[in-house]
Amino acid sequence: MTPLLKTDALEIRTAERQLVEPLSIELYPGRVLTIIGETGSGKSLFAQGVVGNLPAGLHAHGRVHFANGFTEEGREDGRKKLWGRELSVLPQEPWLSLDPTMRALPQVVESYTHVAGRTSSDARQQARTDLKRLGLEGAETRFPFQLSGGMAQRLAFAATHAGGAKVIIADEPTKGLDSARIGEVIALLQAGLAEGGALLIITHDIEVARQLGGDVMIMLKGKIIETGTADDVLNNPQHEYTRVLLGADPTRWSPRKRPRPQGESVVTVSELTAERGGKTLFENLSFDVRPGEIVGVTGPSGCGKSSLGDIILGLAKAKAGKVAHAAGARRVAFQKLYQDPVAAFPPTITLGRNLVDLVRLHRLDASRIEGLMTRLRLDSVLLDRLPGNVSGGELQRFSLLRVLLLDPVFIFADEPSSRLDLITQKEMIELLVEAADKNGTAVLLVSHDEALVDAVSDQRIHLGTDVPSSQPHLPQRTALAANV
Amino acid sequence: MSFDMTVADATSPPKSMARLFGLGVFVLLVLFAVLVPMFWPLDIAKQDYSAILSSPSDAHPLGTDHLGRDMLARLASAVRLSLGLALVSVVTAAIPGVLLGILAAWKGGVVDKLLGLLTEMFLALPGLLLVLLIVAVFPGSFLALYGAVALVLWIEYFRMTRALSRTVLASPAVAATRLLGFGPLYVIRRHLLPELLPVLLTIAAFGAASAIMAIAALSFVSVGVKPPTAELGLMITELLPYFSEQPFVIAAPILVIFLIILSLMLIAGGRKP
Repeated sequence: MTPLLKTDALEIRTAERQLVEPLSIELYPGRVLTIIGETGSGKSLFAQGVVGNLPAGLHAHGRVHFANGFTEEGREDGRKKLWGRELSVLPQEPWLSLDPTMRALPQVVESYTHVAGRTSSDARQQARTDLKRLGLEGAETRFPFQLSGGMAQRLAFAATHAGGAKVIIADEPTKGLDSARIGEVIALLQAGLAEGGALLIITHDIEVARQLGGDVMIMLKGKIIETGTADDVLNNPQHEYTRVLLGADPTRWSPRKRPRPQGESVVTVSELTAERGGKTLFENLSFDVRPGEIVGVTGPSGCGKSSLGDIILGLAKAKAGKVAHAAGARRVAFQKLYQDPVAAFPPTITLGRNLVDLVRLHRLDASRIEGLMTRLRLDSVLLDRLPGNVSGGELQRFSLLRVLLLDPVFIFADEPSSRLDLITQKEMIELLVEAADKNGTAVLLVSHDEALVDAVSDQRIHLGTDVPSSQPHLPQRTALAANV
Repeated sequence: MSFDMTVADATSPPKSMARLFGLGVFVLLVLFAVLVPMFWPLDIAKQDYSAILSSPSDAHPLGTDHLGRDMLARLASAVRLSLGLALVSVVTAAIPGVLLGILAAWKGGVVDKLLGLLTEMFLALPGLLLVLLIVAVFPGSFLALYGAVALVLWIEYFRMTRALSRTVLASPAVAATRLLGFGPLYVIRRHLLPELLPVLLTIAAFGAASAIMAIAALSFVSVGVKPPTAELGLMITELLPYFSEQPFVIAAPILVIFLIILSLMLIAGGRKP
């Protein structure tokens, strides 16, 4: 069988430095190749090198071959002519890649007429069939903004696929999606495979690799350290790094089983109802949070997980119901960790300056900083850096440091690890658990990752109408259930 | 496709070169305005009828005007006046503009609406017309002149500050800072000002250019500064009848206005923010 696409020692480099070591891959019809790696490992750069859209200043060396006989040096750009015809890229953010002023059907028709060169009546018919097959028959005349995220992704798939490209490259196709949407994207990719396509998937999500099967490569610092079938690599990893990486997947964490902590509630929520834009997010939600307790909140995107935490902190308003804080607790003892740590710091001052300001404001004991920094594995060189020049994991740990200095009784952690790699995520969550266990800080942990929440929470709240994959050892509460 | 590794994006050199050039010209103009009176202490109003409209010479390095007054001393004095008035009007306009802008963004609601209405009232009048009106009522008064210019200029600061502050104040970074216990002054110092300053400097450079143009234009139509004060616009008006006899003397103030505006525009980055 001839591969649909083949690279011959393709390496990515700047003028001075090699970023991805020479890598040869072969993509066969009906097969998946998944490259797994952390942020900064070079996996996306490799994909961009294959496609031929590397950012300015970077070059691909080595050859790229296509099934139709076309072959060229990686740094040339002749394969741009094959975009959409031989090689397509599944867009990560479907709304950004669709034309916002064009209805669904013409977006697909356009690919058939302009890229595949079909007549317009033929193209319309084919596009209708495609949309029907993807379950979009009712959406032909809708604009992208009228589609749900999943529908938009399917439409984008139909539009990129219509050019006839057999090779589909998807860079982090499931980034930032909730579990239902991840399932949809995987089904879509599998549909592409079933038609004889070849997939190159770039991801940091091991679950995606597991579900797609095929071949897996593990990339670390621009180098492939392990390769094999998904079954082999993911169930029987050979390299130490692969083992650590797989062990960091929340589905593999050992659950933190223990009785619910005792003590007077830090936060008591009674019959809380919240709305956004006239839509009810949750109704009559009641629960209490005890010192040292970790309350996990799960649910699909837009279900009001973050609103719940913001209401507790007084950053947002509820429609009805009451939030009571522990008597005598100071206002600053209720803190928040943000999903995107960079967005939670003043951008123009160094982390050290920020810390000094905080210490001065609350007349804190500055000598505690050193001990906390060691505990959170933060290097003192970070103090001289601006928030934008620190890695996501370090900055999130720094946010935790800033919060812990205030001796919080309650931390609302809003998806604190959703932008982190698996290993960094595990470190971060472990530190939160440590704060709960050692300092008795209550944590409201909001996450779309049910496995993660299940592994660490004492109590779990599921928002939204969908049924959660249940975990027997946790007290379950569903917001819309009659009796909460 | 997103990419994992950040690639340093070099700032385009031509633009920063232009800025540097503008700054260089501006510094030379300031030095000219400050140093000339120190080393060439001639009275700008002293008339010398033996040297009317003379060409550059040892006694008058830039020649003399139609009343035999020394052009070098007059030009330096005019540049000093223009830059000084521009500085004062820009600062006078910036303070209320920025403070009210922050206030409108912070308070929102009625305060924001009222301030918005006020600026729209000012915007309905063409700026130069407003200055002309005020200066016509108080002829020859420097205070009225700069006050009127400031009254026109503050709106730009207000609008830009309000728009930028709204985005910054709505950011999670400000929410996080407030949650950590910091007060409004800290938010202004650490979040707002660092975002505002570069933009405000650009507006200030444009504002200074507009102020200098406005003052020169008003003097040109004989409103505003009165003789024998040396003012660039006034000098052009006075020398216009003698253009054919001694083109050099009228070219000098025109060239200086051109250089001031050019340098300020280059410093401002060549385009409105």
